[in-house]
Amino acid sequence: MRTFRVSLLGVALVAACTTTDKTTSSGETGGTMVVAMPEPSNGLPPFIETGADRMVVDLLYDRLADMDTTLQTIGDKGFHGELARSWDWAPDSMSIAFHLDPRARWHDGQPVTAKDVKFSYDVFKDATVAPNVAPLITNLDSVTVRDSMTAVIWFHRRSPEQFYDGVYQVWIMPEHQLGAIPRAQLRTSEAVKHPIGSDRFKLARWETGQRIELIADTANYRGRAKLDRVIMRPITDFDAGVTQLFTGDADFFELLLPQYLPRVDSSKTVKAVPYPGFGYTFMGMNLNDPKSLKRPHPIFGDHATRLALSMAVDRKAMLQNVYGTNGKISYGPFPKSVVVADTALQLPPYDQARAKALLDSQGWKPGADGIRVKGGRRLEFGLVVPTSSRSRMTYAVLLQEAFKNVGAKVNIEQLDLNTFGQRQETRQFDAAMISYNTDPSPSGFKQTWSSSGIGKGGSNRVGYSNPKFDAMLDSSLASYDAAKAKQYASRAFQIEIDDAPGIWLYDVLNIAGAHKRLHITGLRADGWWNNLADWTIPANERIDRDRIPLNAGAR
Amino acid sequence: MQSLIVLVLVTTISFIIIRSAPGDPFSYESPNVSPAVRQQLRHQYGYDRPLLEQYVRYMSSVARGDLGYSIARHEPVTQSLAAALPNTLLLMGVALALSFVVGIGLGATQAAWKDSWFDRATSTVLLFFYSLPDFWLALAILLGLTYWLPLFPPGGTIDLVMHDYLPFWGRVGDRLKHLVLPVMTLVLLIAAAIARYQRAAMLEVLPLDFVRTARAKGLPERRVLARHALRNALLPVVTLLGLVLPSMVGGTVFVEKIFTWPGMGLLTVNAIDARDYDLVLAGVIVGGVMVAIGNFLSDLLYAVVDPRLRD
Repeated sequence: MRTFRVSLLGVALVAACTTTDKTTSSGETGGTMVVAMPEPSNGLPPFIETGADRMVVDLLYDRLADMDTTLQTIGDKGFHGELARSWDWAPDSMSIAFHLDPRARWHDGQPVTAKDVKFSYDVFKDATVAPNVAPLITNLDSVTVRDSMTAVIWFHRRSPEQFYDGVYQVWIMPEHQLGAIPRAQLRTSEAVKHPIGSDRFKLARWETGQRIELIADTANYRGRAKLDRVIMRPITDFDAGVTQLFTGDADFFELLLPQYLPRVDSSKTVKAVPYPGFGYTFMGMNLNDPKSLKRPHPIFGDHATRLALSMAVDRKAMLQNVYGTNGKISYGPFPKSVVVADTALQLPPYDQARAKALLDSQGWKPGADGIRVKGGRRLEFGLVVPTSSRSRMTYAVLLQEAFKNVGAKVNIEQLDLNTFGQRQETRQFDAAMISYNTDPSPSGFKQTWSSSGIGKGGSNRVGYSNPKFDAMLDSSLASYDAAKAKQYASRAFQIEIDDAPGIWLYDVLNIAGAHKRLHITGLRADGWWNNLADWTIPANERIDRDRIPLNAGAR
Repeated sequence: MQSLIVLVLVTTISFIIIRSAPGDPFSYESPNVSPAVRQQLRHQYGYDRPLLEQYVRYMSSVARGDLGYSIARHEPVTQSLAAALPNTLLLMGVALALSFVVGIGLGATQAAWKDSWFDRATSTVLLFFYSLPDFWLALAILLGLTYWLPLFPPGGTIDLVMHDYLPFWGRVGDRLKHLVLPVMTLVLLIAAAIARYQRAAMLEVLPLDFVRTARAKGLPERRVLARHALRNALLPVVTLLGLVLPSMVGGTVFVEKIFTWPGMGLLTVNAIDARDYDLVLAGVIVGGVMVAIGNFLSDLLYAVVDPRLRD
């Protein structure tokens, strides 16, 4: 690794050792972490468009309350206060009064008040300003200011996830900074490039597309972040990102593919850090004809054919092929880390003989070239896959081979991510290698799998519709008892698995590469960075860049 | 004038191509965004208007010097260009100068020692580099000289963390160290082509009468080659500048992406991924202008090198 002979190092070291104050958290503080981000972050609240945007926002801004690592979304037991010190439910549960922590301050020193809360909710509810968030908080009616330190959130209806709806999707923004800017001009306003948050990190430097530098807010009401500095640097080329990790120029890269793990094993500085996630990948079969979505798909419209194709796939062997021993098999149309996941559901077994027999019984007879034919129609379909995902590309080839073995021909169509997204949105595909990343809330499954998720505003890309599934999922979402919610969800998922609108392949594997001196804690499935303020670099493991004075980067 | 027409044509074609590509700046946002909201956003930025109207609006705003607004970066396009263009000019300028120096020097030496072991060995090596895809070479250099042999930093223009704390010469050194690998990649690719041209040009010149006369006058061989042969053999190579620039503009796209060099190439690639229309078109315009300037410089140099044109 490169080393710099820094003349100021001695001075810097002294300065770093003296950066203590009354609000210092327990444990060691100090150190610089460089994050290689796979995409640039350009957005701040309310314009959160990418995962990178969300990360920056999560590190700079507080919510009223945040989730614990259990990620339980029913009720308020799985939550702890951030800006809100406590909260009271109204007797009819139609409103919740949040009492703000009087110590909470914006990074410019102004106190956080209930007016900020009202302002933030009003902005996030505006779909033209916050198009990604507004549809998720439709149950929120309004926010009123009871007094300067109490904001009341009013709901349209009672629901088990009412609290989650009320606090998880909205970050509190400073009204005194953004309130005077007309909504329509907010997106182009310079103010959004100079964020003032209230979280344990504050912005030191923002160079669009090059770096975002955060430093610990030493006066933070929740205790200063333990790291002094986090520098986020977009490195959009995957190999370049990995190389920077191994050369020591970056300390953290969130997407380490399995083929790099042997290099990690032999590295003196890099360790692999598996972390939970909400992603799952499957081969979705469009149940409607892409030429006319009103008609059933000529191949996938038939349940037995879908089931036969599902049975033609050896999911475990494929997983081994792509991910070695590190892969995580899919248990159904959900990621294992979501609270309602059930790993005991019955998926179609791998049985090529049965698959062939089933296809035979449906009238699909082998043609001269081995591809089956029924009524003049060949068992041949397209499979779209985004070029951005190496694992999905590999899976597509393996699926092609598996289907060929039972007499089905697959034409793989590789698309850039934007085109892939558009083809999904308009449902212009036969089959697609789909990867969904859900919210902690099971309500996301309503969008992706229920009948109401087909078409406008939904993301039910394959057009799956079964009233029994819808009813079970609704029962699950309506249940205030977590155990019952899980029970109903399991039944819903089993119905869907039996209907076979997709072949459930794998849960997205999250392995980050991290410098060994980073002591990592509290990794959460909804964002590895959510407890970043508690990560540490012990004093005896620090390198040159860890000794830079805390306020040196601020401009 | 000719350059201006070419520029307008290139911009027009790019406008049509990028608008014809599937998706738009709002097509791959979260599935939570309803089609109605997407439509509203498209309306807000005028992307729902007829293509001809969008084109006329765009071209007239470009004519007024307004290159538009980058939706992905949340800033005016000129601001994005102001940050990226100097980095690309630095990279290309250094790479171009070094490529010509190295290419001309190597080509001339090869011709002077025609069929020697040096000529054969360098010809093989140059052919190797000449035939390599630019992205592959960039990746190989990145891996070889940053990971296996950690001599240089793997990316960026400076060490983002330590740069500000280095003494003056330390900062200069830091910049130079970061420049080495991207420049090396471009030089290896371009110098190989220039050397091949230079060798051929020298071999055409060396048997000519004026060279024989110079030798007959008893001039030292080095002077014969440098003052008499090389000067005359430079003419065809100088015209290469106009040809090299377009391929260099293309090459920097890969080099900038792999070495995370925050220049026009990286900016344009990211803009294409995000369907950031105005930024993509600005990248095309800047690329076009650079090529036009390169051609102009090529003509200018030709006049400098060839005294007959000055007369």
